[in-house]
Amino acid sequence: MLAKYVARRFLASLVVVLGVTLITLVLMDRTRGTYVPGIDLNPALRPEDIARLRADLGLDRPFYIWYITWIWGVVHGDFGRSMIDGSTVMSHILDRLPNTLELTGTAILIGVLLAIPLGIVGALRRGSKADHTMTVVSVAGFAVPQFWMGLILILIFSVTLEQHGLPWLPSSGAFSAVNGGDIIDRIEHLVLPATVLSFFYISTWSRFIRSSMLEVLSQDYIRTARAKGMSDRRVVYLHGLRNALIPLITLVGLELPGLVSGGLVVEVVFGWPGIGKLAFERALQYDYTTVMGVTFFATLLVIAGNLIADLLYGVFDPRIRYA
Amino acid sequence: MIGQSRVAELEMPGAAVEGVSSRPAQSYWNESWERIRANRVGLAAGILILVFALIAIAAPLFSALLTHFLPQTIDLDVTFHPPGKPNWLGTDELGRDTLTRLIWGGRVTLGVAFLTVAISLTVGSYVGMLAGYYGKWVDDILMRLVDTVLAIPAIFLFILMSILFRPNPITLAIIIASVGWGGVARLVRGEVLSVKERDFILATRSIGARDFRLMLRHLLPNVLPVLIVSASLGVGQIILIEAALDFLGLGIQPPTPSWGNMLTNAESYFFHSFWLVIWPGIAIFATVLASNIFGNAIRDAFDPRLKS
Repeated sequence: MLAKYVARRFLASLVVVLGVTLITLVLMDRTRGTYVPGIDLNPALRPEDIARLRADLGLDRPFYIWYITWIWGVVHGDFGRSMIDGSTVMSHILDRLPNTLELTGTAILIGVLLAIPLGIVGALRRGSKADHTMTVVSVAGFAVPQFWMGLILILIFSVTLEQHGLPWLPSSGAFSAVNGGDIIDRIEHLVLPATVLSFFYISTWSRFIRSSMLEVLSQDYIRTARAKGMSDRRVVYLHGLRNALIPLITLVGLELPGLVSGGLVVEVVFGWPGIGKLAFERALQYDYTTVMGVTFFATLLVIAGNLIADLLYGVFDPRIRYA
Repeated sequence: MIGQSRVAELEMPGAAVEGVSSRPAQSYWNESWERIRANRVGLAAGILILVFALIAIAAPLFSALLTHFLPQTIDLDVTFHPPGKPNWLGTDELGRDTLTRLIWGGRVTLGVAFLTVAISLTVGSYVGMLAGYYGKWVDDILMRLVDTVLAIPAIFLFILMSILFRPNPITLAIIIASVGWGGVARLVRGEVLSVKERDFILATRSIGARDFRLMLRHLLPNVLPVLIVSASLGVGQIILIEAALDFLGLGIQPPTPSWGNMLTNAESYFFHSFWLVIWPGIAIFATVLASNIFGNAIRDAFDPRLKS
């Protein structure tokens, strides 16, 4: 049953992946009639040289042929080469991926670790000062533009602290170019971007945990557990929390694509050398093999994230059946 | 005739259980409106958005009567003037008045946001209604299309399209709406699926109403609450997206001010002129916050069961 369900979902996903890559390509294709990447760097090229270059890059073929060739390559694990620097798209992605995973992974981890206790406190002390404060903060968390929060944090923790001769946090990059790269250095660089990124997760997830905790705690089996004389602590953490966490699984699963694209703006603000920044820079340079590669990769993550969330849901809640 | 009198009997007020029908009957819309009015914070948020919108519309008036500057007026003698007189919120690197630019920027930012919502809702509800109403292969094709649109990491799509179209406010709205309609379509389809099974739809169809009339006059009004909620929550989200695109240099292009591109500009100078980064950020924050609060208030008003 489950295998059949996964198989069907997989087939539907295949259609989506083809659709996404095709849309991306058509969009990029609109620009290639007049443009060969890097051509503006060398005005001395003769028209026949340009034609030869275009042929080398496959730009003289209609986009559907290009697309079929590209898909054929992807099926064989070959994402092609960057149109700017000629190195493989895969090597670009693998080069940037660890940085992105470091940033978003940390942010998601902090998000989960803080959101769960905050949500529980909000539900248990409903209407208290702490609860109200958290409501206000999380409502603010939805409304604050991430790049603006990043700029403000840089203003406070990098610029102002440095001006006053206090210890300050680096505002750009994943590690120092000079004498850097050790673990302390990396953590220092991680603090500000991870704070910005996790702030959003905390405000979203803590609200969810709070409301799902409230819902669970009002159910009959909780009253039964209390009536049996079970301690409050046991009721809340053993019976309540277990069920209240189920929606969180979906939410975190849905953030999986955010691993690649969600941090794009934060990566740009903090000069973080991640996948999102790669896609952004390369799109500006019309390097569409790289953009196609990253988009393909990110789309896979969206689909995988949805699927994993749905499957985990069933693991934690046996009432759910897959048809 | 017999059937009619039976119905009349059932609906006689006297037949109701005593004490239950003491309250005069109110329409759904009236009740919702009462609930919105009772929600002070929600109402205040709604008014704030209205005020911002009015200020944006009246921007030329404010320029002429209040600030006495135009958004593009360059005055190199007063660059990086801190907040004070006559530039209440300070000036930027070209001596342009920040308050004036903020007001004119709001015109662009809010305009794009409202236009985007309008496009998303129109396209999304049309697609959602077709898919939900006709079902079968129409539903399959349209919903796979929606899946595809929603599976593209949105920010990548925005970047690609912005590079392609070099946006002005209208194309920018179209670009953002090209993803936004997907969510609306899903929402509307779900509603239509449940509404179309109700008896009054069968009744309408049995007296010979055409599909189009049925959708427009009978399905749409029932989907409207969902649409209004999604619109008011949508404005905030779209302002955030638009500001991010502006910030990345892919949205509204200078010298036209928008809250987002004012921040891009500010990024280069904010270590000595902090106000450049403070004001547009606060404007974005306040608007998005108000839109979220107002959206939630409307949602609670339309469907009190959802209230958390």
